[in-house]
Amino acid sequence: MTTPTAAARVEGATKVYGEGDAAVTALDDITVSFEQGKFTAIMGPSGSGKSTLLHCIAGLDDLTSGSAFIGDQRLGDLSEKALTLLRREKVGFIFQAFNLIPTLDAAENITLPIDIAGEDPDGAWFDEVVERVGLDDRLTHRPTELSGGQQQRVAAARALVSRPAIVFADEPSGNLDSVSGAELLGFMRRAVDEFGQTIVMVTHDPNAAAYADRIVFLADGRHDGEMLDPTADQVFEHLKAMGG
Amino acid sequence: MFRLARRSVLAHKLRLTLTAIAIVLGVAFVSGTYVFTDSIRASFEDLFGDVNANVDLYVRGTTEFGTLAGDIDEEIVAAVAAVPGVDLAVPSVEGIAQLVDANGDPIGGTGPPTLGFSYLPEGEAQSPLTTSAGRPPNADGEVMIDAFSAEANEFAVGDVLPVILPIGTEDFEIVGIATFGDADNLLGATLAIFEFETAQRVFGLDGKVSSVSINIDAGADLLTTQAGIAEVLPERVEVVTSDTETEDVLAEVDEGLGFINTILLVIAGVAVFVGAFIIQNTFRIIVAQRTRELAMLRAVGATGRQVTGMVAIEAFIVSLVASLIGVGVGILFAQGIKGAFGAFGFGLPGGPLTIQPRTIVVGLAVGVVVTLVSALIPARKAARVPPVAALRDVQRPTKGLGRRALVGAGVTGIGVVLLAVGLIADVDNALALVGFGALVGFVGVSILAPLVARVFARYVGSPLPRFFGITGRLAQENAMRRPRRTAATASALMIGVALVSVLAVFSASAKAGVAKVFEEDFETDLQIRNAAFADPRQAGLPPALTDDIRALDETGAVARVRVGEYRLGEERPTEFLLGVDGALDDVVNLDLVEGSYEDFTTGTALVFEDEAVDEGLGVGDTYVAEVPSGEVLDLPIVGVFAGDGLGVPLLVTLDTYESSIAFNLDRFVFIQAADGVAQDQLRAAVDAVAESYPSADVTNTQELISDIEAQIDGLLNLLIVLLGFAIVIALLGIVNTLVLSISERQREIGLLRAVGMERRQVKRMIRWEAVLIAVFGGVLGNVVGVLLGIAVVLAVGQGLSLAIPNGQLITYLVAAAIGGVLAAILPARRGAKTNVLEAISYE
Repeated sequence: MTTPTAAARVEGATKVYGEGDAAVTALDDITVSFEQGKFTAIMGPSGSGKSTLLHCIAGLDDLTSGSAFIGDQRLGDLSEKALTLLRREKVGFIFQAFNLIPTLDAAENITLPIDIAGEDPDGAWFDEVVERVGLDDRLTHRPTELSGGQQQRVAAARALVSRPAIVFADEPSGNLDSVSGAELLGFMRRAVDEFGQTIVMVTHDPNAAAYADRIVFLADGRHDGEMLDPTADQVFEHLKAMGG
Repeated sequence: MFRLARRSVLAHKLRLTLTAIAIVLGVAFVSGTYVFTDSIRASFEDLFGDVNANVDLYVRGTTEFGTLAGDIDEEIVAAVAAVPGVDLAVPSVEGIAQLVDANGDPIGGTGPPTLGFSYLPEGEAQSPLTTSAGRPPNADGEVMIDAFSAEANEFAVGDVLPVILPIGTEDFEIVGIATFGDADNLLGATLAIFEFETAQRVFGLDGKVSSVSINIDAGADLLTTQAGIAEVLPERVEVVTSDTETEDVLAEVDEGLGFINTILLVIAGVAVFVGAFIIQNTFRIIVAQRTRELAMLRAVGATGRQVTGMVAIEAFIVSLVASLIGVGVGILFAQGIKGAFGAFGFGLPGGPLTIQPRTIVVGLAVGVVVTLVSALIPARKAARVPPVAALRDVQRPTKGLGRRALVGAGVTGIGVVLLAVGLIADVDNALALVGFGALVGFVGVSILAPLVARVFARYVGSPLPRFFGITGRLAQENAMRRPRRTAATASALMIGVALVSVLAVFSASAKAGVAKVFEEDFETDLQIRNAAFADPRQAGLPPALTDDIRALDETGAVARVRVGEYRLGEERPTEFLLGVDGALDDVVNLDLVEGSYEDFTTGTALVFEDEAVDEGLGVGDTYVAEVPSGEVLDLPIVGVFAGDGLGVPLLVTLDTYESSIAFNLDRFVFIQAADGVAQDQLRAAVDAVAESYPSADVTNTQELISDIEAQIDGLLNLLIVLLGFAIVIALLGIVNTLVLSISERQREIGLLRAVGMERRQVKRMIRWEAVLIAVFGGVLGNVVGVLLGIAVVLAVGQGLSLAIPNGQLITYLVAAAIGGVLAAILPARRGAKTNVLEAISYE
């Protein structure tokens, strides 16, 4: 699967927590790559290692063995500081909860990574992103004044505004009602289609996964099949089969 | 509940550690003070017990108050010796004698007394002195000195030593070196021992003695003999047992120690008070962070009272452990201070530290009670956590700002009223009232502080985003997101800074006052005073100096003053008077509003205008003053003066002074040049005379002003160092608050790290938050301190001229900011280490 167009990939990724008898293998020799300009979902039951995989590809956690790459950069070769700078420049994040800094307003939250880098935001692009997520009239509000769906859209805008090479989303719709969740996922879908954004999303919700171009299934830390252009029903059936 | 509380303490070890440190430091200060002063007291008790062990009775001048006993006529010795039952009656002459070191500088004189006394061979058995080298003096020109002075200055038997005495400076040959009881010297006092008649001569006490030490015949009855002696004594001479003598000396020691004790305890109190703020803040944060846990307890059936109890028990456990450690640290502390005193030449007699049960009880009580009281409000708040908070995040509404403003203003108002009453009204314990008022005022301001914390962070913090972008913006936001927490943390610092600011305003005003007095009220060309900053009752200039100065052709008017104590009656406070001679009205602007300086002769008085008004007296009336010996002087008032340059309510002539007060060293000599004599000519002539008086410091007015300013600054700095303790505790409070806040904001910091914030940016963010909090405390402290200082200066009035030391106040602010940076080191490091994964992972 390793292709030159991969935005990110792992080779032989293995992650073991603890030692000796208490050792738990969260990732077991996984090799997978994520195509540029595609929306990939990672699915699997609880404890299948999907979040661990995301963290390791995103440079938030390190592998016990094997390698993770963003573009051509092997993450294991980077210092803590270089890794931080890589995240700042190349990666966007959308988490399930606690996505925003409560003391900053929506606009400031969106430009946070750019501000941290000490750079000036691209005004036109900022306006476009904000318009797409429908937050034009909410920019001066603080997170506590926004609904859960609006908060996640701020987080999504933040992930896109620095034009990262890849966006990682960890259960982005996990805390949202179905309408807000659909809005957010629809926006992510359009970001891929219209801006060519690469997105990797972890979810256990078949409806969310159906927005993706491709699904990578994990089970017990192993790569356990894939699905292209999925529908919610297909995913549901597949999961049922896996579970059985 | 107890088990739960204990578990909770163990689980929150880290966050409670800093609270515990605040308690430990406060308690250590309190118990250390007690151990230190108790130990000194015990040392004195042993020492004077030893000193007086070989004497049965003392004949001495009476002392009704103050510190100076009168002299006795020498004839009394023979009369006493003749009383039946008296075996041995040995007279002693005492005075002030300052040794001069090899560089020509006087030794000591700033603290412990510089004592001189006589030696008679027949008194050998009574003497507490042990000759450790050479022999005692038996002729004029010989001196024996204490072992500590000898060692510290490398004096040896055979050396020639100049000694400054009331009659002037004379050279003596060291013939012996002595120890005092167990100690090398008497608690830092330097000793110069002369042959008896020499002592009378050099102390200007010809025909007089200071006391008579008596041994009674074996078999004679002590009380009968004492009564027999009493019969032959004239007025104002008394005979006491050696036990009484010991008790009286100890009472004097107690007075001095009591003063030190009070100052140290007040500063310890400040430290404890500051600690209380930190304890309260910590428990409040802990309760807030444990809302979910407490709600769960409520949900499973714990009553509000039980929850409060649990928090209280937790506070109790922490305070008990911390107080025990504090008492232990205090003991070490006392040992350290004792060592430091030793190093500075205050040779304290050996002996173990005295640890009284009172010390431990008070130490523990202070620690436990202060902690429990401080934790009370947070504990009660814990009880109000609704069970439903266990299930979801309940944002409890913040209390109305209006109510806070009202309560804060009320409390501040009460503090101000107490202060005003203490400062202005004539009440007992005015000082205690002022202190309590200030305390209440601080609490009031701390209640009001959250109202301005936000505004402060917004405006003062506004440069941060400009210079540090988003990091600065976040620091600014973080500093003001919990105004109560910020304010409580800053308030602890405010107290220390405020007190330091009060002192700064007071000393600046004192300095301005001194300058004003000397520039406006004195018309002197030169002044001479004692070089060392010393108790005017224990040090001074040999009177012979004034005579030598007067003999100079270059000098015109020369006036001198000598300081003495008096009171208007038994229940009245002790005041200072000046004995003066020479043309005082020429050198000082007395501004006589009534009477004439011409009439100021032996036995008369000049009275300060305010005093005359207070007492309802004027020229022609009699001023009735009691001097320390108990003698009552009826002084006809011949003038009322309004010039407050001298700063005392009563002036008498030097003759009057000498006939009633047994002190013969001058405080100040004021000099004017003779007509046609240039300043430098005068200076050269006076300097030449002063050469042979090493303790004499010749200054012109500008030099005098800057000298006194330097002394005031020295005193100020000493107090600031002591208050620094409270400031350190306050900075620990900032550390504590930041550590707790950061653990609360872990997710937030994790998120910032995830989206690309570098560790050093995290550190910078936390550092600037700390600086903002510290500067907030500093500004509050400055404002409160300056207001308080102005009030004190205006209330004291006399001799002060209000001045605001802007430079110093700004220095304190900068110091507070630096303190903030230091306080942020640990929290910033912890914040930067935040594990991104743990912080963002969702449970």
